[in-house]
Amino acid sequence: MAASKSNALNWFLHRITGTFLIFMLITHFWVQHYDHQVASVTHEVVTEKGEMPDYPDAAKEGVKAKMGNDVEATPYNVVMQRLADPVYAVLWKGFNILFLIVALHHGFYGLNNVLTDYIRDPMGRLVARSLSWTVALGLLIIGLYSVITAGW
Amino acid sequence: MAVDTQDRPAATTAENGPTAEQDSRFQRYRIRTGMFAWIMHRLTGVGLVVYLIIHIWGLKSLSDPETFNALIAKYHSPIFKVGEFALLVAVAYHAMNGLRIVLIDFLGWSPKQKRLFVTLGAVTALIILVGGWPSIYSLGEWLFGPGTMPSLFL
Repeated sequence: MAASKSNALNWFLHRITGTFLIFMLITHFWVQHYDHQVASVTHEVVTEKGEMPDYPDAAKEGVKAKMGNDVEATPYNVVMQRLADPVYAVLWKGFNILFLIVALHHGFYGLNNVLTDYIRDPMGRLVARSLSWTVALGLLIIGLYSVITAGW
Repeated sequence: MAVDTQDRPAATTAENGPTAEQDSRFQRYRIRTGMFAWIMHRLTGVGLVVYLIIHIWGLKSLSDPETFNALIAKYHSPIFKVGEFALLVAVAYHAMNGLRIVLIDFLGWSPKQKRLFVTLGAVTALIILVGGWPSIYSLGEWLFGPGTMPSLFL
């Protein structure tokens, strides 16, 4: 019965994290895809090998203002212009760490629901659950490392 | 698998003898609106977990400018632009159907199910069209030549 209690908490958390993710995804999408100055993905198709996507003028000027006049607006530098501001960098890292944890919990809890539905054998369930949460933990460590050390 | 949706049939049809429709061997799996929504939620959910794994793995390259630039350049290739749009469709559907589940579970909106379903469906379509425009625009510019697509709000 203890197991069913903890499942109720997870069930509740799944809905809470899901609701949070809607707001976090809006922020994430806005910054990464739509903002003219800081979006690292632009509205352009690149087919040539070695060719870099062309950024809007706002992004080129933003990179120059933050990182120097001779710095080009490459994808990496467009991200780095955001992290050049220490206050923004801390906010950005805090947001992304929270985003990472919430997304991983939501995704892997959901995946475990699906696995439990199709795997009937208790041993198989245990293996599937252990494996999937190990992958999640590995991704958490990789993700935390990437976010924390970005711009160092 | 049949994916046409239909409302829950009147209770009496189940009690009557086999109808033409029930002769189908798939009749036990006849997909109703709610079940279709549930299957799609599950499929998009699994797809998004797979994407999440690739996404976090790819972001390791943030520690190396050269690799990161090459990766982002690759994300601008036509196939990734199509994938980007498919991702938005999956995210928009999963988010709005999830919101529907939360509203029904937490706020007891089940009497308003039908209206909720239609409203959130319209919101999802709007998110896909407006949010997906950058991807459609870039693919159109590449396929039909520069200046052929209306840039609209971009």
